[in-house]
Amino acid sequence: MYAYILRRLFMLIPVLFGVSIVIFFTLRIIPGDVAATILGTDATPQALAQLREDFGLDQPLYQQYFSWMGGVLTGDFGESMRTGQEVLPDIMSRFAITFELTILSAFISWIIAIPLGIIAGIKRNSKTDFGVRIISLLGVSVPNFALATVLILVLSLSFSYSPPVGYVGFFEDPITNLQILLLPAIVLGTSMAGAVMRMTRSSILEILRQDFIRTIRAKGAKERVVIFNHALRNAMIPILTIIGMQIGVLLGGTVIIEQIFSLPGLGQLVLTGINQRDVIVVQGAVLFIAFVFVIINLIVDILYSYLDPRITYK
Amino acid sequence: MREFVQRLIDDKIGLIGFIGILVVIIIAIFAPLIAPYAPDKMFTEHVLEGPSGEFLFGTDQFGRDIFSRIVYGAQVSLKVGLIAVGIGATAGLIFGLIAGYFQGKVDQVIMRVMDVFFAFPDILLALTIVAVLGPSLTNTMIAIGVVFTPVFTRLVRSAVMSVKENEYLTSAVAIGVHPVKIIAKHITPNIMAPFIVQITLALSGAILTEAALSFLGLGVQPPDPSWGVMLNASRTYMEFAPWTIIFPVTAIVFTIFCFNLLGDSLRDILDPKLKR
Amino acid sequence: MNKKGFILAFLFASVMALLIACSDNSNTDEPGNDNDSNNDGEQAEQVLKIANDQEPAGLDPHKTPAHSSVRIYSQVYSGLVQFDADMNVVGDLAVDWDQPDDQTYVFNLREGVKFHNDREMTAEDVKYSFERILDEETASHIASYFSNVDSIEVLGDYQIQFNLKSADATFLSNLTNASAAVVAKEVVEENGDLQQVAVGTGPFVFEEWVPDNRVVLLKNENYYDENLPKLDQVIYYTMKDEAARMSAIRTGEVDLTTVSAQSADLIKDQEGLEVKDYQSLEYSYVGFNNEHEILSNEKVRQALSLATNRESVADIVWGGDAVVSGPVAPSMGDWAIDVTEHELYSNNLEKAKELLAEAGYENGFDITITTASTYADMVDTAQILQQQWAEIGVNAEIKQIEWGEYIDTWVNKTADILVGRNGSGTDPDRALNYFFHTEGSANVWNFSNADYDELVTKGKTTVDLAERKAIYDQAQNDLLTLSPNLFLVSPMKYVAVRDSVEGFTPYPHDGEYILEVTKK
Repeated sequence: MYAYILRRLFMLIPVLFGVSIVIFFTLRIIPGDVAATILGTDATPQALAQLREDFGLDQPLYQQYFSWMGGVLTGDFGESMRTGQEVLPDIMSRFAITFELTILSAFISWIIAIPLGIIAGIKRNSKTDFGVRIISLLGVSVPNFALATVLILVLSLSFSYSPPVGYVGFFEDPITNLQILLLPAIVLGTSMAGAVMRMTRSSILEILRQDFIRTIRAKGAKERVVIFNHALRNAMIPILTIIGMQIGVLLGGTVIIEQIFSLPGLGQLVLTGINQRDVIVVQGAVLFIAFVFVIINLIVDILYSYLDPRITYK
Repeated sequence: MREFVQRLIDDKIGLIGFIGILVVIIIAIFAPLIAPYAPDKMFTEHVLEGPSGEFLFGTDQFGRDIFSRIVYGAQVSLKVGLIAVGIGATAGLIFGLIAGYFQGKVDQVIMRVMDVFFAFPDILLALTIVAVLGPSLTNTMIAIGVVFTPVFTRLVRSAVMSVKENEYLTSAVAIGVHPVKIIAKHITPNIMAPFIVQITLALSGAILTEAALSFLGLGVQPPDPSWGVMLNASRTYMEFAPWTIIFPVTAIVFTIFCFNLLGDSLRDILDPKLKR
Repeated sequence: MNKKGFILAFLFASVMALLIACSDNSNTDEPGNDNDSNNDGEQAEQVLKIANDQEPAGLDPHKTPAHSSVRIYSQVYSGLVQFDADMNVVGDLAVDWDQPDDQTYVFNLREGVKFHNDREMTAEDVKYSFERILDEETASHIASYFSNVDSIEVLGDYQIQFNLKSADATFLSNLTNASAAVVAKEVVEENGDLQQVAVGTGPFVFEEWVPDNRVVLLKNENYYDENLPKLDQVIYYTMKDEAARMSAIRTGEVDLTTVSAQSADLIKDQEGLEVKDYQSLEYSYVGFNNEHEILSNEKVRQALSLATNRESVADIVWGGDAVVSGPVAPSMGDWAIDVTEHELYSNNLEKAKELLAEAGYENGFDITITTASTYADMVDTAQILQQQWAEIGVNAEIKQIEWGEYIDTWVNKTADILVGRNGSGTDPDRALNYFFHTEGSANVWNFSNADYDELVTKGKTTVDLAERKAIYDQAQNDLLTLSPNLFLVSPMKYVAVRDSVEGFTPYPHDGEYILEVTKK
């Protein structure tokens, strides 16, 4: 087991190197650079050249890459070209926000999806099953930025409600913090709920058909016991997988929602960074997101093997 | 095949999805016949008018007929979906087959590259690719296609590996049948089920991703009427001209909903484990 | 729905309702002022909350032209002079000034003005600030405004002299630019630059910047005008989405925000809110590459001008709240000429077709219009032009690019036709010389006309007001006829403010004058 984890961790190294190379070079291909976006229509050739020199953009690409990577390996992600702020602390503080939003959204989607999925699975092909499936699919089908806009509009017009504007961390003021994150989490949670619901339903279906469940039933166990003590526990494995994937996807997928709800998260950092061609910020943030994503996937895999004794890893 | 069709008909939900998609396809094909006006024709005297006999779904901020734009938008959205998923699925199929069949070093290289792309958040990857290539219909499709490639590759690879374990294949390899023949004859048909399910689901994902890119101004270019573009433009006007948002949203939701219905029920039908 | 599902939904709704209810109580609680209880009758907290539509791009006044930054650092820093409500130059850090000759300005500085770090501001600081602007290593965006400065001499602690290379009628009005700010040398040296810190002599003191969320400014208790500012605190919240800004201003989460014309219409009658408008100094334009095979022909450009219905652009893009403009926006007052009577503004399609035929393009031609996806008004304008030009057979394709790339295109002159928006600046010299002189830093149009160059150069050095105006009238007319760009419309700007805000008036040159503002 430990050997397996070590081997997997070792395999992450080339992947993260790959990510760093891909993001570094694609960012250099995007037309326009940070000097031009800073100066805008006030740009003169001299000022542009001076800024490019300041940022080291006049050096050969491979040299820029190595000096950046050298820094990253020693924990120095560099400084934002726009604001001069150090990148890594900024990434960490924003990650806290995006991560909290992710967990909250995932939590909302489970509250909605897992009970509904179980019900639908148990009562396959009943009216309840159809109803649940259709509702959950509708949730997936609405573009979340449209849902967010409508939600903001309706709440402000009908209930004179708008989430508080100044972001505060959970530990500073938990109530305000939750108020700020509730609406975006609902929007993300509803669009995620469909996938979890479907996975729950089909895992339940599969488990209920298996021999050991039949045996338990044949022994005359109550249906409630069958489902809660036996079926559900086994069905958790695939559900766990999708939850893990979901958290990974959400980490990078909150870009638009963060923008609409003015949340200072990681997605905003990357988006603003791309728009302003602040490549140091974008590189650092994307590498960080990729790192967290692969780690989460690894954790899910390990949990998976832990929960399911049938799976062994060499 | 007959059994498949029968099962699809039996599963009402899948059938509804299938019919819905058919309707969208027909609308897209016959758009010039169905739409009363050209999608970019501006009636500047009729800006932001509500639905009427003349303009069935009302007009947008330029006085363009929303109904005609929705109808032509079906073309754009389906095109984005089909071509983007086509790119992703084809690339995924090729890489997945090669990786799964030959394994070893080839597999290692392909899968590590896929891992790299997989580690990028979808929307950020699409956004970066569009930023590099420049926003246009074609580049949107390419970007979404690249985003989907790792998912398809992984799916095909793992399916190939599990099929390969079967005894009949082991013996086919043993007696020296050419790999291409084995892939074509034995493996490909066996992995079609999960592949098809993934395609229907990816189609809805592609349409949503296009809408998201349009929200960021990086999707289809005006005056082309993609639903995502219409939806994004309407955000400014939705409060006093709700028809500008209602109809594009309905069109998107309906189409994605139908793809999802179909995908969901195909999954049930094609999954051998669920057969009764 | 089954029972369990119902219970869950109910629980969920309750939590939601609870959180919303909590928010009503905490609405008036502001960061930093938690101790105040807000009973009726007590004076309201003097905190102004402003929604900023973009994240500030840094706080260095000498390096950052972005509007989202200017609106903040202009409250922290002061310059030598400023505009009053009627755009007359009046003193700021300078009490008065005189001109021994056309090329020399002597400023007498206000005594006892302190930087926010408590050090007194003297003539040395003014000298340092302008030398920093002019230093090539600073790469300042306003260096070109002061390229005419030859040397700066400190005559005493409170007196400073600027020696110009030639007579310059634009010098004083250029000094009113918020970026011509007086900064403290020790702060620059300590921090490398001023992007993260801000220590000025202005009415507000920089407190904190939470990236992508808010910038907090506090009252400068030592401001040279003892009666100002009236507010204790100003907070700028970054809210990029218009729907979010609308929601926040409607519910009173923020006190002040800019809104689009369409949104202004929606909330102008709402109770508790007031929408103030002002004519901006901006105008939208169509920029031609004057060396392009087809567009280099003056007749083609004139034909496109005739084919453009500017009123229609004003109606559709700006909801009717925009005025037809030439290169100098109408809100520049006397400097702007009346363009509506100009022949090329008559939207005469017949004449346009004739001109095209004379140029040899009776069947029209294909062309690409490039614009920035970041700004809906530019994309909308491009779409209208595409339709209007189609009527004379010009088949335009729209290429929408994101802002960073747009600037790159602009600088490198790689587009055939660019649709955008320009600021007229504070002096007609910017609109006419800077953008269209052959050597002008912002002449990205490959436009070159010797007569015109001579005219605007003369305009810059002519100090006599009437004479100068005559020159610029001529220059504007020439520009309309030569059509290196098409000038379209100058929009109104809208600011929505809550009733609790008193004493706020936006001006064309300063849409956010908050010194006199109080909260009730």
